[in-house]
Amino acid sequence: MLKDLGTPARSAFRSAGTPLRSAGTPRGVRRRRTVLVLVVLACLTLIVLDARRSAGSPVEPLREAAAGVFGPLESTATSARQPVDNLRDRFAEMDRLKAENEKLQRANEDLTRELNSSDYARNRATELDKLLKLAPAYTMTPARVIGIGSAQSFNHTVTIDAGTADGVRVDMTVLNGTGLVGRVVRTTQGTATVLLIGDRNSTVGGRLNATMALGFVSGRGEVEGTLDYKLVDLKARPKVGDRIVTWGSSGNAPYVSGVPIGVVTSVTPNEGSLGSTATIEPYVDPTRIDTVGVVTGPPARPPRAQLKPTTPTPKVSATEGKGN
Amino acid sequence: MIALRIGLAALFLMVAVTVQTSVLTNIAVAGVTGDLVLIVVIALALSRGAEWGAITGFAGGLTLDIVPPADHTAGRWALSLAIAGYVAGLIRRETSTGPVGPLGVALTVVLGTTISLFLYSATGSLLHDPSVDWGEFGVRLGIAAGYDVVGAIVVIPLVMWILGRVVPARERRRVAP
Repeated sequence: MLKDLGTPARSAFRSAGTPLRSAGTPRGVRRRRTVLVLVVLACLTLIVLDARRSAGSPVEPLREAAAGVFGPLESTATSARQPVDNLRDRFAEMDRLKAENEKLQRANEDLTRELNSSDYARNRATELDKLLKLAPAYTMTPARVIGIGSAQSFNHTVTIDAGTADGVRVDMTVLNGTGLVGRVVRTTQGTATVLLIGDRNSTVGGRLNATMALGFVSGRGEVEGTLDYKLVDLKARPKVGDRIVTWGSSGNAPYVSGVPIGVVTSVTPNEGSLGSTATIEPYVDPTRIDTVGVVTGPPARPPRAQLKPTTPTPKVSATEGKGN
Repeated sequence: MIALRIGLAALFLMVAVTVQTSVLTNIAVAGVTGDLVLIVVIALALSRGAEWGAITGFAGGLTLDIVPPADHTAGRWALSLAIAGYVAGLIRRETSTGPVGPLGVALTVVLGTTISLFLYSATGSLLHDPSVDWGEFGVRLGIAAGYDVVGAIVVIPLVMWILGRVVPARERRRVAP
């Protein structure tokens, strides 16, 4: 009894019938705060350890392990996403569908579903087809996107399902049927992380197709993947509608030459300095990347010949099974 | 019983991370995906308290930090989600004479989203990560919060119900009267 009087908090807690554990007792509060402090300290330690990238982060093995576990999981989840894709397509077509007769729609539902899935397979085949047309002279490893960074983390990165086991290394160019996607920044056994060109950390050397002038394309960090383009020659001025291709780096890393990047949509003079900045709409829609190719081998002929690829397309049926 | 609960929490977090990185991104609104991991953390915090919120938040956030395609400094999501989970647990304690109502849960989710996104962006700014864009912050936070509330309607009752099944008998007896 005396003990109870000495600890009023606990007796009140009991008599009021407040549920669950020692949530309100001083001991519970102390333990809770200890846990919080420990967790926050652990986080700060991690951040400090990992922020010094040059020194080789101790978090790297953890990343490898996580990719080893979650890579296959993400792969599986991605192959199960076809219903999700269909769902999205349906939302996009909502207006058109509303106008249609509801009865007809219900009767055709099975048929529509079948059609959607065959469209999906056909789209993938066309994508691989285009990939071959775009860069016929490079040795490429096809891969599928299995994870996408979300906009609220401000990261424009994706995971692909090819890794060191498939010959993918850091600083390799990634492209798809329509143009440049990005470069590999991190690899593990079975997955690789690709930094998209729309990320603010990304800069690509770009050449104006029309005048061969050199410049730099940098990401803006926007969802649509809009890019900024600055010419090296301050007096030169890009025109709206000009197309931009990569000019490539020595040793083909991180970017091979001749890959289309995008088209100039507007040009604004720089405030307070010489030169002008062009806004570029990329050929690749970063929200709809699916099948991509990683350039794993050198070009078989001089890079300048890459600007207008005209190689006849071989059949893609051999490579198509890869992603599935 | 404790081992079972920890196992369940780990399972929830793994599923959440997988779904968030590879399935939810395909139905993203303006690029913003639902923070499924955050929702699970809040659900765990609401049913088990602040310590659980902090620890599961740390574990879930760390996984988000290191699972591809993450390319930022590890520990940022861990810190954000740990604190969001802790705060969610506190809310649960202060109103714990009864279960937290639907409106309370929705507000907790919005608060959790705000805290976690703010901490994530703030640590990014401190580390001079050029990709953090405060001009876009408000818009993305708004979309993310809305998305998370929608997700929470489905996920939180499910997680809380499953965890409620494995509450030890002695705690259930205390809640009953």
